[in-house]
Amino acid sequence: MAVSPVVTYDTTSNIKVTATKAKSLAVRTNSVSNPRNGSLPEPGKGQELAERLNDETKQRYVKDKKLGEGTYAIVYLGHLRADPSSLLAIKKIKVNTEYRDGLSMDAIREVKYLQELSHPNIIALHAVFSSKNQNLNLVLEYLPLGDLEMLIKDSEGIRYGTAEVKAWMGMLGRAVWFCHENFVLHRDIKPNNLLIAADGEVKLADFGLARSFSDPYRPMTYQVITRWYRPPELLFGARFYSGAVDVWSMGTVFAELILRSPFLAGNTDVHQLELICNTIGTPTEENWPGVSKLEGFLKYDKAATIPVRGREFYLSRFGTAGPVGVDLLMSMLALDPRKRCTARQVLEHKWWSSDPRPTAKEDLPKKGGGPERMGEDLKRKGGEIEGGRGDNVARKLNFGLAKS
Amino acid sequence: MSRAPVRNGAAPRRPGDEDDICPVCKSSRYLNPSMRFLVNPECYHKMCESCVDRIFSHGPAPCPVAGCARTLRKARFRRQTFEDLHIEREVDIRRRVAGVFNKREEEFESLRDWNNYLEEVENLTWNLLQGVEVKETEKKLDAYRRQNEAEIKQNAALESQEIADSEAQFAAQKEQARLRREAARNEELDERREKEEGRREIIDMMAKGDGDADAIARESQKVILKKSTARRTAAEKSRQQAAAKVDNGAAAAPLFSIQGLKRIPQSVPEKEYDPFGGYAIKPAYYYLRDHYEHSWLDNARSDAQITAGGYDVGEYCARAIMEASGGLGVFIEDEIEGREKRVEKEVGTASAAIASGGGGEGVDGDVL
Ligand SMILES: Nc1ncnc2c1ncn2[C@@H]1O[C@H](COP(=O)(O)OP(=O)(O)O)[C@@H](O)[C@H]1O
Ligand SMILES: [Zn+2]
Ligand SMILES: [Zn+2]
Repeated sequence: MAVSPVVTYDTTSNIKVTATKAKSLAVRTNSVSNPRNGSLPEPGKGQELAERLNDETKQRYVKDKKLGEGTYAIVYLGHLRADPSSLLAIKKIKVNTEYRDGLSMDAIREVKYLQELSHPNIIALHAVFSSKNQNLNLVLEYLPLGDLEMLIKDSEGIRYGTAEVKAWMGMLGRAVWFCHENFVLHRDIKPNNLLIAADGEVKLADFGLARSFSDPYRPMTYQVITRWYRPPELLFGARFYSGAVDVWSMGTVFAELILRSPFLAGNTDVHQLELICNTIGTPTEENWPGVSKLEGFLKYDKAATIPVRGREFYLSRFGTAGPVGVDLLMSMLALDPRKRCTARQVLEHKWWSSDPRPTAKEDLPKKGGGPERMGEDLKRKGGEIEGGRGDNVARKLNFGLAKS
Repeated sequence: MSRAPVRNGAAPRRPGDEDDICPVCKSSRYLNPSMRFLVNPECYHKMCESCVDRIFSHGPAPCPVAGCARTLRKARFRRQTFEDLHIEREVDIRRRVAGVFNKREEEFESLRDWNNYLEEVENLTWNLLQGVEVKETEKKLDAYRRQNEAEIKQNAALESQEIADSEAQFAAQKEQARLRREAARNEELDERREKEEGRREIIDMMAKGDGDADAIARESQKVILKKSTARRTAAEKSRQQAAAKVDNGAAAAPLFSIQGLKRIPQSVPEKEYDPFGGYAIKPAYYYLRDHYEHSWLDNARSDAQITAGGYDVGEYCARAIMEASGGLGVFIEDEIEGREKRVEKEVGTASAAIASGGGGEGVDGDVL
């Protein structure tokens, strides 16, 4: 599991691929990436076949107008050649020579994990093909109704209540649970990665930072998850962590849905920690055994230590969720990741069966305007973003600074 | 069907009766004009009624046609509808498939979806017709039937309701026509009677001898006209009433049937909200086993740098075991091979799987 079979010719890793996967991956392997050593192991027949398969895939889709531009991709509206009424999103990954093999790791991750995860609340990847100049194209499910961030921000145009929040959180919870059940960490959960399908279904997207649960002693990077949604263990530089990081993000999204503004909007990593201390409580050896051993742990003045907030605090700020909802929120925002509830426990919580019943997806408030307006939105958004992935993670910060 | 021409007093000829010799008992229609042939949808081998009685009356028995030997039941023998037994069979299969895949166009969001569905069903039917992948196809059919039992029943009810409704409508229309015809006939009779009466009046008048014949005739004509106008209005009224009665019946039918039935599924109390969205819950990690003993993991369990960040050895064990047993394409042996012999033989596969993941070749760039 250490090395992905998707992009390398590492023979030891190739044997890990199942027959069916291997069939589909062959296309990608040969046509998409330049192997590290620069030479294909089996030129000739195999490659021709791969190219033909790739061409066949490519021929099946037609790109229409541009929908928007992200950090490392341009997203087009598209359709099946055989069915002009179909709607698809074709995400063309920008080639960046900075990346090893000329291919963005984000794109590789996205392909790898989206391929493995098939669930109604996770964006569907229909196909992958390479176009001229070795551009990688992901054919994705078209999700025309924007994202949760747009709904949260549009406080004038869109009204919603606890039943709606519950419906959205339920869909997010299913997505995260499914990822974790398949040993995948998403590592970038935030409202703007929760896209909305025409029928109101929320779909977790952007698996550019995802990875498998790590093997023991294999450190991971802590520079993941957009800051406002980043858990304290990552802010303390933990290199060994679990699905609990995504659960924290879920908790902050939950809070944001209720507040209709970001819950913990730090300007810097240190500021983010400060907000966590002030709002949720100061991490200590008492409430989080071992925390002081983490590489980036910041010692706090004993006198300034803020005890972990109790129910009253949450009830006063998130009372609309009801006492049961508040209980769920608190368990998602436990400082110690081992005390945080798991994605499974989120779904097993009694909030889902308590009143009110989650709104049916068809009845959820929608961002109006259709594709035209969406395109505008994406253009505006795309304009803000520049540079590589690191910028994207820090995007919220810039945004926050501009605001304050 | 009921009016098939009857020749020479023989049983009405039906499709399948063309071959006049029973392939089983070889008795001929020529000698036995009342002979009828039957088929069983198991194999569609044709045989005469008396053969069926003889062979299958004591319970299921193998088909007597050479090389067939399929077990047949008497109850399933029936007359042939189509001359070509292939068509007979196709119709049966189609009816059977359609009885299970009885979704309705209005259940689909778009015409495309509906067409896709139809195509899929056609593929399935085609397989059965052509004998391609019959076992799998039957399995699919059966699985679908079991999974969608309620829906299938509901649609079947809807369909038969529709048929019943259209039959009721048809009957109502027929009744209306009958009433109309009856009214017209009565009208005619009345008219004739009145004319008759009128004529008698004239004769009576003339017989009494008061007034000239012309005046009498004119006078009586007036009477007749008046009478017939009144009668016509009355007939018209009763006709309208009859029509209204029938119309009401027809209008009332959908209210209590089609529409009601269609609404039932929507007004059924909502299913309880399932937070897992219908996905099966696999056994949780902690059901597997609480603790997999392996010295290699001890440090990961105790080092605060690892545990305080939330890293969970249990999750790793679950994944390793899942990958090892779930056949996710991981070849444990291949992985273990070439690795220093960390795995003691007697530890067993679970531990082997756990240990196998710990490549430990230093830090990879957190790539995948
Ligand atoms: N499947 C999709 N359907 C419709 N719009 C999409 C889809 N995927 C991405 N987009 C839009 O296109 C833009 C660029 O996508 P992406 O590269 O994922 O952006 P970002 O860096 O903002 O995540 C985004 O603003 C997103 O809203
Ligand atoms: Zn016979
Ligand atoms: Zn037979």
